Amino acid sequence: MPKHPTPKLDELESGPWPSFVSDIKQEAVNRIENPNKVEHQIPADCPEDLLGVLELSYNDGETHWKHGGIVGVFGYGGGVIGRYCDQPEQFPSVAQFHTLRVNQPSAKYYDTKYLRAVCDLWERRGSGLTNMHGSTGDIVLLGTQTPQLEEIFFELTHDLDSDLGGSGSNLRTPECCLGPSRCEFACFDTQDICHDLTLSYQDELHRPAFPYKFKFKFDGCPNGCVAAIARADFSLIGTWKDDIKMDHSAVAAYVGGEFAPNAGAHSGRNWGKFDIQKEVVERCPTGCMSWDGSKLRINNRECTRCMHCINAMPRALRIGSERGASIFVGAKAPVLDGAQMGSLLLPFVEVTPPYTEVKDIIEKIWDWWMSEGKNRERLGETIRRLSFQRLLDVTGIKPQAAHVQEPRHNPYMFFKEDEVPGGFERDLEAHRKRHKR
Amino acid sequence: MTEDQQKIVDFIAGKNKTKFYFNDFLAVFPDRGPREVKKVLTAMVQEEIMEFWSSGSTTLYGLKGSGKQGQAEGEA
Amino acid sequence: MTVTSSGYNPEKPMENRVSDIGPRRYDEFYPPVIARNKGKWLYHEFLAPGVLVHTAESGEKVYTLRCGASRLMSVTHLREICAIADKYCKGFVRFTTRNNIEFMTDNPEDLQALKADLSTRAFPGGSQKFPVGGTGAGISNIVHTQGWVHCHTPATDASGPVKAVMDELFAEFGAMRLPAHLRISLACCINMCGAVHCSDIGLVGVHRKPPMVDHEWTGRLCEMPLAVASCPTGAVRQVKVERNGEEVKSLAINKDRCMYCGNCYTMCPALPISDGFGDGIAVMVGGKVSNRITAPKFSKVVVAYIPNEPPRWPKVTAVVKNIVEIYAAGARKYERLGEWVERIGWERFFSLAGLEFTHHLIDDFRDPAYYTWRQTTQFKF
Repeated sequence: MPKHPTPKLDELESGPWPSFVSDIKQEAVNRIENPNKVEHQIPADCPEDLLGVLELSYNDGETHWKHGGIVGVFGYGGGVIGRYCDQPEQFPSVAQFHTLRVNQPSAKYYDTKYLRAVCDLWERRGSGLTNMHGSTGDIVLLGTQTPQLEEIFFELTHDLDSDLGGSGSNLRTPECCLGPSRCEFACFDTQDICHDLTLSYQDELHRPAFPYKFKFKFDGCPNGCVAAIARADFSLIGTWKDDIKMDHSAVAAYVGGEFAPNAGAHSGRNWGKFDIQKEVVERCPTGCMSWDGSKLRINNRECTRCMHCINAMPRALRIGSERGASIFVGAKAPVLDGAQMGSLLLPFVEVTPPYTEVKDIIEKIWDWWMSEGKNRERLGETIRRLSFQRLLDVTGIKPQAAHVQEPRHNPYMFFKEDEVPGGFERDLEAHRKRHKR
Repeated sequence: MTEDQQKIVDFIAGKNKTKFYFNDFLAVFPDRGPREVKKVLTAMVQEEIMEFWSSGSTTLYGLKGSGKQGQAEGEA
Repeated sequence: MTVTSSGYNPEKPMENRVSDIGPRRYDEFYPPVIARNKGKWLYHEFLAPGVLVHTAESGEKVYTLRCGASRLMSVTHLREICAIADKYCKGFVRFTTRNNIEFMTDNPEDLQALKADLSTRAFPGGSQKFPVGGTGAGISNIVHTQGWVHCHTPATDASGPVKAVMDELFAEFGAMRLPAHLRISLACCINMCGAVHCSDIGLVGVHRKPPMVDHEWTGRLCEMPLAVASCPTGAVRQVKVERNGEEVKSLAINKDRCMYCGNCYTMCPALPISDGFGDGIAVMVGGKVSNRITAPKFSKVVVAYIPNEPPRWPKVTAVVKNIVEIYAAGARKYERLGEWVERIGWERFFSLAGLEFTHHLIDDFRDPAYYTWRQTTQFKF
């Protein structure tokens, strides 16, 4: 017999997509039956109370959670989100239901020994419910009580060799695509730099000193599988400088129908015979390709590396050899001044350990943003308020045409005093000799 | 308590709120960079003079045990 | 509850303390075939929906089976994943950015056995535990936020609408028959901690009423200067109000300036914002993050408000399904939803979708607004 009737939620058990309601119920049974004789450190029936409070929200259309200022474990300013139920008498087992963010390994590969250790820890000291994973990439452990926080942290660090992730005005847990581990498009080792920077900036991740959140994300190529350009204050997106490599016999195999275009990604529908002229050459945004019926040509100098032709014919076209990344800064969700995409800061940087050039730019940006950013202002907003030129000044990067979609529309330019012969101090008397008052 | 720590305690005492953004403390040490000021605050957290408070998206600093809301949940 | 000690001593928090160690190193968890061929992959193919094969310079292949999952996952389910990974994948598994599970093997026979095994696993209520798909020109898993399960400012649930929408679009998860891939995201309020603002279809929880002020509790629960400072539009101010014949300090909300973000409620629990009649979902369309062919794009609001209809949000799912259908019918091969709409024009999109264009959809918020109005004679009747 369930503790709380949940007729509305029960309707979410049918239908083909995996049901989170069924899964929570399964965990509720596991905790009550407790076949492994786990010494639960928080109430065993908290999954049932979670279903109960959620059913209440389904009935009244309002949340029943309150925020709490708990931030983490001793000395950390992030990694824990405090949550309290606003109906604690009705749902005592979730009266406190705090979340922990655990920093995931880069690109979320696991072995089952590690995952089981996470499960054991969380079955004993938490609700047994997780998010795999949170939006920023952490393993999210959903629901525990205050006295457990330090105990969980102790076991995480001592037994699992793992640490908490970021929240609040910290560096947030960095995230990357799987990069060269399983992708032929990767222009740099996304996992390695993500891991290296995560370790290099542990203090920034755990102890807040920023005006607001700050996110790193690493996409191995312009396809952007972790959405760095939309989400990260600082992102590296893989690119290359030399020519796309071409295998002419493989091009012929695509044209001849031996290889499925776009790696077979369109195979569920009959789109007709692959037409290289229409599907590749004419879709190229720069028009830098041509097909004469037997040979494909690319004017690489004009290519902007959009990935379309490579995506469409991955066995025939490959990324170049002179690889690295472009740096983009300032992406954010809409709050407050509207959403921003990352803006190009540096067209090309080599991405090789120990990543000195990248770190140098990051630290220059932080020094500036920490002193001049307003409270609750994301980097992208600081740049808008104080100008892109200021960002170039503090990072020592030379302005170039690649920085803009188009030059400015108005002539209200600021000149630096040393750009003008004689500076801004002018000789009024000399002027008066030439011009009467 | 060090001289720097005392300056921070005095700064807080002169305000009508108990929770502060990191940036607020930069004004206490106008000739020092943010990384230096952070070291002072980090030590004060380690020594349990100050503590963090987070909205989830932003984090504030305050003297340990001061202010509202912590107690409101029955947990100091 | 009794607390069994981990070894932590609350009297001496710094004793034996380990901190700042960061995550486990990524390459501890590589399946052997990945470790052997990292950086040497030549090309990939989709053998079937949800099935990828990557071929390396060495000639080795890794087969990946991608399955959908609910991002809210129990340890019981996670242990089932572990058992599957032990049986077929040498004890390794990974998760994608969009909350999919990836099982990898270098043995094509294990792949077939794994696929057959997964197809038999279902929850008692009938839903599949490991639906295979989410690849190529189809719909992958929905990324989303916490909603009513765990958040204090949501305007809708997250897991519920996601389940309802994915049930409706389930066929497209397991097929590759759309013009291009289509990404759906859901954020349960406008703060968008899930950053859904660049999705082909974004669902966003919206409040429509300013917070109430509980004068009885503002003074007891809140530090008022912090609540004032938390408001991004400067709509919160300190006031004096009369209560039981006494003048007390409290807060007031400028209702014309409030954008219903809930930030003040985070700082001050005496400013509740949730409202069963005010809250609901807005629908956004046409965003993307890839640089393929065209630049990344923001999503645009096409429906200002749909009421919450738990448990299955039928109006939301109908709108989403209809948009997917008109896109599938109208777009050219490789054309993303936003690219298709830009080609045919937004006026045509609204007529095709049968959506009413309301005043809410014209941007009136600060700088970016002007750049979204039309400044050309070219438009469609």
